[in-house]
Amino acid sequence: MKPLMLQGHERAITQIKYNREGDLLFSAAKDSKPNVWWSLNGERLGTFNGHGGVVWCLDVDWQSINLVTGGGDSSTRLWDLETGKNIATIKTNSSVRTCNFSFSANQAAYTTDKAMGHPCEVFIVDTRTIDDSLSTQDPILKWEITDSKVTSFVWGCSDETIITGHEAGDLIQWDLRTGKKVHSVKEHTHQINDMQLSRDGTMFITASKDQTAKLFDTNSLELLKEYKTERPVNSAALSPILDHVVLGGGQDAMEVTTTSTRQGKFDARFFHLVFEEEFGRVKGHFGPINSLAFHPDGKSFASGGEDGYVRVQSFDQSYFDYTFDYNRD
Amino acid sequence: MAKKKGDEKVNQTPQSDNEEQNFDEEPNFEDPEGFVDDITDEELLADLLEQKPKESDGYENVIIVDGCPQVGPERLEKLQSVINKIFSKFGKIVNEYYPTTETGVTTGYIFLEYSNPQNAAEAVQATNNCKLDKQHTFLVNLFTDFKKYSDIPKEWEPPAPQPFKVQSDLQWYLMDPDAYDQFLVGIGTGVALQVWQNTLPEPIVLQERPNWTETYAVWSPLGTYLATFHWRGVALWAGPKFSQFQKFYHPEARFISFSPCENYIVTFSPNSDRGDDKKLIIWDIRTGQEKRSFPPPEEYVTWPIFRWSKDDRFFARLGADMLSVYETPSFGLLDKKSIKIPGIRDFSWSPTDNVLAYWVAEDKDVPARVTLLELPNRTEIRSKNLFSVADCKIHWQKSGDYLCVKVDRYSKVKKDKNEIKYSGMYYNFEIFHMREKEIPVDSVEIKEPIQAFAWEPIGSKFSIIHGDAANNCISFYQVNTGQAPTLLKKLDRTFNHLFWSPMGQFIVLANLGLTGGALAFVDTNDFTIMNISDHYQVSGIEWDPTGRYVVTGVSSLKCKMDCGYYLWSFQGKIIRRVMKEGFAQFLWRPRPPTLLSEKQQKEIKKNLKKYYSQFESKDRMRSSKASKELVAKRTEQMKKYVEYRELKAREWAEQKPRRLELRNYVDTDGLDTDPTNTVEEVIEFFIKEEQTVIE
Repeated sequence: MKPLMLQGHERAITQIKYNREGDLLFSAAKDSKPNVWWSLNGERLGTFNGHGGVVWCLDVDWQSINLVTGGGDSSTRLWDLETGKNIATIKTNSSVRTCNFSFSANQAAYTTDKAMGHPCEVFIVDTRTIDDSLSTQDPILKWEITDSKVTSFVWGCSDETIITGHEAGDLIQWDLRTGKKVHSVKEHTHQINDMQLSRDGTMFITASKDQTAKLFDTNSLELLKEYKTERPVNSAALSPILDHVVLGGGQDAMEVTTTSTRQGKFDARFFHLVFEEEFGRVKGHFGPINSLAFHPDGKSFASGGEDGYVRVQSFDQSYFDYTFDYNRD
Repeated sequence: MAKKKGDEKVNQTPQSDNEEQNFDEEPNFEDPEGFVDDITDEELLADLLEQKPKESDGYENVIIVDGCPQVGPERLEKLQSVINKIFSKFGKIVNEYYPTTETGVTTGYIFLEYSNPQNAAEAVQATNNCKLDKQHTFLVNLFTDFKKYSDIPKEWEPPAPQPFKVQSDLQWYLMDPDAYDQFLVGIGTGVALQVWQNTLPEPIVLQERPNWTETYAVWSPLGTYLATFHWRGVALWAGPKFSQFQKFYHPEARFISFSPCENYIVTFSPNSDRGDDKKLIIWDIRTGQEKRSFPPPEEYVTWPIFRWSKDDRFFARLGADMLSVYETPSFGLLDKKSIKIPGIRDFSWSPTDNVLAYWVAEDKDVPARVTLLELPNRTEIRSKNLFSVADCKIHWQKSGDYLCVKVDRYSKVKKDKNEIKYSGMYYNFEIFHMREKEIPVDSVEIKEPIQAFAWEPIGSKFSIIHGDAANNCISFYQVNTGQAPTLLKKLDRTFNHLFWSPMGQFIVLANLGLTGGALAFVDTNDFTIMNISDHYQVSGIEWDPTGRYVVTGVSSLKCKMDCGYYLWSFQGKIIRRVMKEGFAQFLWRPRPPTLLSEKQQKEIKKNLKKYYSQFESKDRMRSSKASKELVAKRTEQMKKYVEYRELKAREWAEQKPRRLELRNYVDTDGLDTDPTNTVEEVIEFFIKEEQTVIE
């Protein structure tokens, strides 16, 4: 089927996400205005105006009421989804690299970059009363990351832990009740660009600059599977209905201008979750893919690229018919 | 400085405190009375006595040169200088003796002493039987030989049998029952080498060693040896374990070439410190002996400097206005002199006969000429004059039946001070029919620039890429006995390189280079293009020696990204993609020519159907085994994963109350599990408009 091309950003896409039902698709880019789209037809529903620079990250809560974004203008912003109004702005000392709502959406966490003499920090804020007071309120919890900075994170089970992925490739699980490290593993050799939970939240997949994506257990951080490519992986997502993963990435954005798309390998690549074997590719972007997301119904997926486009691709029947040979007793 | 210190020490010692002993009172060393010295010197000083100079020491450094001119005292000096000039080439002469008769005339033989036996031996080897002038021929012997030959015992003693040294089987790689080929993969510059066997369904690594070579590695022409480069020289590896077979000490050797029958190897070390005459050395591969060394070429020349005839009997080197042909095993010049050919530019040996082709450039009114020269009798069996020639390239067909000389011709020439500028270029292909009487020559003319030329290795076709770089086409010609070549097919496709299968018939057309990557697999029997594919930025293509597989590679030396190699069937079906960081080199192990007679080969081809089914069933078994293994592996993986998921699903179910609590008792576990959360929307569509006129 012909993919939907969502053209609304003027610069490279940084992150895309579906809401829980999958009717809305959110996209953040380096052009300061996050967008929201109807995922079904690719029509733009609106923009969230207010950031003064790059928007690095966004997340939507489970009820699709609020949106949280973080950007290079050293702020975390909360938005009312229905009206697009900026309802709270939390100033930070440096760029906000990542932000996510917790499972209950009663809390949100965000992390800042180590820059301008300020350390990398993790903040947990209470979002139950979202209004301007949040802007001045102290976070419930915050702590400093002394070694390599946080480049991605996910919430663990039941709002009790978060797992941070770092620039040096390590994964650390933190207990929010004590604010202490619980586990730490180093399975990647380079920066972790993206982390996404499985549908039930018991597993998550990491995408790393070391050209691999890996599957981990959320509780134990045990390495379960590994998917290898020959380019840095910027994003990886797990199919909610099938044992499939999709990987996206490509040559470093800095080198892209000097090479052709053929060499860059900007395809979205599908692997079998269990067998770690690649079984398909989807072409389209003419720059690296920066973010990927499966539709919650597993029947389509979206990719946002360095080229500034979001592409929504529905799977055709052959995707669902394709099977691997093994004994199914 | 050091010496000075020592001197001071000597001066100081008498004054130092420790030395202030009684020098006056000397202990008594006298033997006590009645002492019998019953210990021999040998017992006491055996180790020292061994080093005692013997009268015969240095004998082996001495050579006797007989056959010298007999001269009187007045010309002795001249003789000495001549002799010195000749013999000091092999090392420093430390002593010389010219015996004379009573009248002062030299006796015609002289004694020369070198500083070591190697120099002496070298001098004997090189100068014995050498002509000094018309009357005088040197007869050179080692001094020790005289004794050896005069003391030949009357009774013949059978030589003691040498213990048998087990030689590793050098031909083992050809004994593989499935005739799998081997290949070499080099990774990184001077890092690891891997030797693989191209087995089905997956290749097997036979040998992998880090730092096996410092630069690159090559197979010998018949595939017996693997040569690697090291700062001390070149090493050859052979046998099932790739053990070291031979090494050649030649510091910083950068280039090597093997003789076609693998008897000799030439090593060249352009920066060697060993002196000019040790830069280019020919070695015997089996014994490891240095056969002869040569001074390096004066100017830049293309490697190999020495080109060998097909049977290792001759090797030749291009010089200024001459061709030097050497003979083996004497390693001397054929007939003791080079062949004078004024204006010779290039030459090439026939791959099947002791015939070489050379061409000479135009000189004023003398036209350029291509000549076929038969050796060792130096008969010119054919020569052809050519006019308006800018350049020539000699291409022999592998079977030696035809020779093609590509002639770059001009219609105008302009001579600047240093440069010669040609314009109005056109190109001729002169085809020499080697196997026909008088060697007739045919000519094919093409007006466009030529990108590439290649003979079909087995068969009678040749192919040419011509046209501009951006817009070229490929022409295939057929050579016929007694007729001019005929054009078979012209393909309008842009490729810049031709790679024939070593078995002929099939050809891979490729676009090499940073912007290239296109590949076409063509069957030249009917010129069907079997497949078109690409390997982006492909930098090299290697056919396996049997013509069954093709490998395309992107070397890390050419391109930093996506290094690795693809294995294709000859029809262009991709078999395997191997991406490897630092991939630098891929070489199939060559095979020696088949031992089967042509009749036997025909027999096999006739019965191919019979073998075909056998191979087919073997392949099927192999691949079904492999797919069974894969299925088993997947089943195992899936089993483990399902177990893990069951555990997780239980945990998840247990946590359900907590989840509900967190989300205000709304069940969000499934997409449709929350029926209250759906909103029904009524959308009105405009379907059609109808106008009805009501009267």
